[in-house]
Amino acid sequence: MKANKKLTSVVLSILIIFAAAPSQLAAQTAVAKTPSDGKPSAPQWCVQVDKIVTGDVTLEPAFRIAIYENLLQELAKTRRFKEVFRSGDRNARDIADLLILKTTVQKYTPGSETRRAVTTVSGATKLKVRSQLYTRDGRLILERVVDGNVRFFGGNLRATHNLARNIAKTIKQSSLPTPTSSIPEQKAERSPVSTSGAGEELSAADDGR
Amino acid sequence: MNRKIVPSEHNPNASSLIDRLLAYAILLVWCSTAMLSQNPSVPVSVAGSPGIRVTHVLGLEGVSGNTTGNLTIEDNTLQFQKSGGATNQVSIASIQAVFLGEQSKQVGGLPMTLGKAATPFGGGRVISLFSHKKYDTLTVEYLDVNGGLHGAIFQLNKGQGEVIKNELVAKGVHVTEVEVQPKKQSTSEVESESK
Repeated sequence: MKANKKLTSVVLSILIIFAAAPSQLAAQTAVAKTPSDGKPSAPQWCVQVDKIVTGDVTLEPAFRIAIYENLLQELAKTRRFKEVFRSGDRNARDIADLLILKTTVQKYTPGSETRRAVTTVSGATKLKVRSQLYTRDGRLILERVVDGNVRFFGGNLRATHNLARNIAKTIKQSSLPTPTSSIPEQKAERSPVSTSGAGEELSAADDGR
Repeated sequence: MNRKIVPSEHNPNASSLIDRLLAYAILLVWCSTAMLSQNPSVPVSVAGSPGIRVTHVLGLEGVSGNTTGNLTIEDNTLQFQKSGGATNQVSIASIQAVFLGEQSKQVGGLPMTLGKAATPFGGGRVISLFSHKKYDTLTVEYLDVNGGLHGAIFQLNKGQGEVIKNELVAKGVHVTEVEVQPKKQSTSEVESESK
């Protein structure tokens, strides 16, 4: 009888714990969601991705195009920008809060998938680019050096995907100045001096990894 | 009465049998991949045929990466039709540039990679030496209706890039063949540039 009572109490306590746990989890989720849901939507920039400039570096056209297309995808994924425009898109002409992303290839080390598969330690494909964000009037607001490599698994073009992801991540983590069209609305809240924090962003280098 | 007595050391040892089987399996995979990579491609004409079997790597609007399909040129459009699916068209007049290149890739995808990783005694590395195949790459730069620049990359069997190139040249598209092997940039040069 005593053993039965003990077993029943243990089972009951387990049931109570399991019943309480989901409600606690739900409460935690709700708390975690509240800031993003309840946050007033901050004014956002639009961005136009310019053609990739290879400069003196000899880069295969497939790589150049792959960087460009992957950048468009990855920047859209970050949700940092209201819209992401392609180079030459006429719809971007009328947009005041437009940033232009210029990407210049600084270094390219061609690799080999077979060498990677055979040796593991050699044959990496490496890319290093300089990414610059300009405003429409030509003011530089962000400059970063980012790299993207493929060392073990995957084809050579995977380096361009990694690079684009790193650029998007870098931009997402950086603080951009408030768009100009929204400054008059915020003048009452902020002093004019604090509107631009771009100076500290200039020429800071980030190696990506 | 005439039964022969087989000495016990002539009986096949279980472990040596497994080793032999494993070696045969490796040899079989090796031979099959080597044969696969040497499979000759027959150039065919694009116009008026079902098209060339290609893999869309990235870039076409509404088509996900690594999708296989047929590439055809019809009525001044470059068409990519997914296997049993919708067709995407790019007007030849909107094509800005076409680049033809080549690349070497490992065949077999993820199953092969896992198989190679599971092969003991570094056998996977030996398989990798022979399980690569050369492909042609076709990079197309074109403009959409809003003037936005697009780029699409296709992977074709070796030799088929030439067929597409000839067709596009006949339609008046400027095709650039990428032959220059890119040089490795010196680190010092990069450092001086970034300063």
